[in-house]
Amino acid sequence: MSVRILYTIFILSLLSISCMKDELWLQHKNDTEGSTEGLFVVNEGNFMYNNASLSYYDISRKEVYNDIFFNTNGIPLGDIATSMTIHDSLGYIVVNNSGKINIININTFEYKGKITGLTSPRHIHFLGDDRAYVSDLYARSISIVDPRAGEITGSIDVINNESPFYQHTTEEMVQYGRYVYTNCWSFDNKILVIDSNSDELVDSIEVLIQPRSMVIDRFNKIWVLTDGGFEGSPYGYEAPGLIRIDAEFRTVEKIWRFEKGDYPGSLKLNGSRDTLYFINRHVYRHPVFSEEAPVVFVESPYRGSAGGFYGLGIDPESSELYISDAIDYTQRGLVYRYRPDGTAVDTFRVGITPSSFCFR
Amino acid sequence: MMNRKISLIIFLTFLSTAVFTQGIRDSVFRVPPVTVTTVTIFDKEEAGMKESVVDSVTILEKINLSLSDLLSENTPVFIKDHGRGSLATASFRGTAPSHTQVSWNGININSPMAGMVDFSLIPVYIIDELKIMHGTASIADRSGGLGGSINISNRPDWNNRLSGRYMQGLGSYTSFDEFLQLNAGNSKIQSKTRLYHNYSKNDYTFINRGIGNIDPQTGQIVNPVDTNNNAAYRKYGLLQEVYFRPGNRDFLSVKYWGQHASRTIPRVTSYEGPDNSNLNSQSDTDHRLLADWQHFDGGSKLELRTGYTFKQLNYTFKNIVHGIGLLPVIQSASRQSSFMNKAGYSLETDNKLSFKASLDVNFYSVNTRDSVNNSGYRGQRSEFSVFFALQKEIAGLLNLNMMLRRDVIDKNFSPFIPYLGFDLRLLQKHELILKGNIAGNYHHPSLNDLYWEPGGNPGLQPERGYSYELGLEYRALIPRHQIRAELTAYRSDIANWIIWIPSYKGYWEPLNIKRVLSKGLEVNISSAGKMGIISYNISGSYACTSSLNYGESHIWGDESYGRQLVYVPLHSGNLVIKLSYKGFSLGWQHNSYSERYTTSSNDISRRDRLYPYFMNNLSAGKELKIGNVMLSGELKIYNIFDEDYRSVLYRPMPGRNYMLIIMIKF
Repeated sequence: MSVRILYTIFILSLLSISCMKDELWLQHKNDTEGSTEGLFVVNEGNFMYNNASLSYYDISRKEVYNDIFFNTNGIPLGDIATSMTIHDSLGYIVVNNSGKINIININTFEYKGKITGLTSPRHIHFLGDDRAYVSDLYARSISIVDPRAGEITGSIDVINNESPFYQHTTEEMVQYGRYVYTNCWSFDNKILVIDSNSDELVDSIEVLIQPRSMVIDRFNKIWVLTDGGFEGSPYGYEAPGLIRIDAEFRTVEKIWRFEKGDYPGSLKLNGSRDTLYFINRHVYRHPVFSEEAPVVFVESPYRGSAGGFYGLGIDPESSELYISDAIDYTQRGLVYRYRPDGTAVDTFRVGITPSSFCFR
Repeated sequence: MMNRKISLIIFLTFLSTAVFTQGIRDSVFRVPPVTVTTVTIFDKEEAGMKESVVDSVTILEKINLSLSDLLSENTPVFIKDHGRGSLATASFRGTAPSHTQVSWNGININSPMAGMVDFSLIPVYIIDELKIMHGTASIADRSGGLGGSINISNRPDWNNRLSGRYMQGLGSYTSFDEFLQLNAGNSKIQSKTRLYHNYSKNDYTFINRGIGNIDPQTGQIVNPVDTNNNAAYRKYGLLQEVYFRPGNRDFLSVKYWGQHASRTIPRVTSYEGPDNSNLNSQSDTDHRLLADWQHFDGGSKLELRTGYTFKQLNYTFKNIVHGIGLLPVIQSASRQSSFMNKAGYSLETDNKLSFKASLDVNFYSVNTRDSVNNSGYRGQRSEFSVFFALQKEIAGLLNLNMMLRRDVIDKNFSPFIPYLGFDLRLLQKHELILKGNIAGNYHHPSLNDLYWEPGGNPGLQPERGYSYELGLEYRALIPRHQIRAELTAYRSDIANWIIWIPSYKGYWEPLNIKRVLSKGLEVNISSAGKMGIISYNISGSYACTSSLNYGESHIWGDESYGRQLVYVPLHSGNLVIKLSYKGFSLGWQHNSYSERYTTSSNDISRRDRLYPYFMNNLSAGKELKIGNVMLSGELKIYNIFDEDYRSVLYRPMPGRNYMLIIMIKF
């Protein structure tokens, strides 16, 4: 009898031979391929999933290479990749919830190092070869980093103790002369002005509720999009706006209001920096001289409230538009490529939640 | 260090209590026998319903674990486990976590806020009986169990005079488990008291695939060996039951279950920010109180029950701020209370006909607030549910079961929930039954779905399910062996499935946009008995779960249509073998899942794979009887092949680890 039992156990144990080993699945592979003209697509991924990724698109050959960071280096990009900035031949990818910036060679995609120790980094703004600012959602300070050494060298406090809200959070950065302007999005309404010579917060400009996105045009006008908060927000809820600020005098010159409940964002400039594009469900276009309301440039294919365009990038050479669509946010998203005259050129599939673009 | 000290104090306190009670032990001594629970399979009250009862051997085997471990290792319910001691949610028959209804002695314990249950917070200590109702069988208790329901019960032992047990567990990663139970009473009144405490520092090491360091010598990218930091958990609680039986016709009980659980939630493995930032912690405090009266008169039974549950869930997320110190970005407190009442009447007549009617009147209230940004919501819900059932046995061959339920939620009538089931006895001499049912069901959105700010959608429709199933059940009692087998096929079509998705308004919003078709096969086989001098207990189950999304596609590029839902394995199975001989015992536990997808389009990337999962645990123990005291010791080895695995993306699970359990029973 017991022989039968032992036999049964033996047979069953054959079924359970150890077979979960990472090495079987994580073979490092190098499939980088040089190309002259291209753009990087930063795929944010899902929060807490560690599934951010980087795609590369060859503009002239219309070829897309997905997951280039992992495929080249064998390590994942991280959790919530927010933005990518190129300085010389290096690409700096800010990975928000991983608290770091991964650095790659933009031609070979090889991992060149990282800047760690950042609380909740959002964007990097270069002031020179050995100095850059990193904006941050939670640190209540802007980090000063030495990108060459991969080190944090200092910080600029942006704490607002007068507000009952968690202020200031810092987002995008633009520069006018020695001054760096940054927008404070979460439960806030300020654009902060930082003197990059002294690394000090010197001024602020009050705009509307929750400035989300910001650019500076060729005429030194700063353009800001606010989202107006949300219904029931303790900070307030209002119609969002497109705001023009004079960078020299730091004054609000003009405000175009949207409808209450709209959610404009992803403000970008064309190659000649005289035409604005942004997403407010659809893609809108607004020449900087225009006094009219912005007009729809590409209509969203979505009818219900779910889904829609997520990110926008404009080629500084050709002024072609790249519009990303995250679909349901849990599958690989799409990118649509358009000419500045509105004709569609290409569509390609990238990674999960494609959010921003960086042109090589 | 402090934690260790507290554990030691509790351990010593428990130990001294155990020794003390042992000293005053009553002369009436009884070791409760370990019984394999049997259920009559041809029962008109349960015609067409698929129920599985987890036997007492398994409950005892898993005593130091959470219900999440027991369910994933011993039942077809799939548990999505975010790590050891972390959030664990159920997917039953390929459905969402909120589609599994969980009750404790008849009162629902799903969170009214999120609609689901975190099974890592339910210790097996508090379970006497565990019954799983598959699919629409759960309509008998309540609506909403599109996947099914899990029912935890406590029972008195009227023969008991004084008994108790104390368990001490010591395990890897600084884990301590303490459990004390004392039962006292007579044939009229019985009291059961349970106290428990669990702590684990949970600091296992793993190769961190989320981080790459460039080796300065070779230039190679290497993954560091990291420790699972910020993952400690602690849970302690009390369950007190009092049962009163003044005569043969009345049965009263009062139960209280209180628990406090606190844990820190590990950061993503790719995190390389400051050490003292991105710190999460969560605490759950629960109070559950319940009173129940059952009155029997001839073939009729009247039952009145009232219950109150309260949950306080606190969550904080902190970062270091230069010049200030640790500062919360989120500090939220959620208070959830439920007041649940039930009146039920059932009548069984001589001519094999029975009738049931019940009315549930429930009230839920939620108040959640984040004190950093002063945001949150208050939400309430009233719920009435009327239920009728008519069950008939015909000629000992056929059982028919008709049930009808209707809910009134916040004064709005939901459509009828019908159920029609049958049992057909196929063989006269053997217990071989063909069973089946056809039913509808509704699941109402949770209060978060309706009122969360921002995004809550008060216009949400209930999720609607139609399902049918057909199965064969077999039971044989041959000398010294008992064999049970069950095979079930089901199909369930759920429309208006709610998912949260970012909208163009900029925030996440729940919408009724999915339709899910879930089809599957469940096989359970178990056998227990004696082979020569060895007692054995073998049970295995296998489930094939095809749960496909047929929701409307919004654009041509959507590749999720017709694809398996994320984190639902197509194949899952488990096998448990327990052998015992003269007080020695040996147990082997295996469970496996096929690959789970993490994208709605079922893309597989080399970066994000949850490849097939095969897990093996082994246990060996010895029971010793000294006078009237039963002493037992058991060594458990988890993950015996020291596999690298994870059950959600980039959340490494522990390698081979150990737990030593010592129990004293009297």
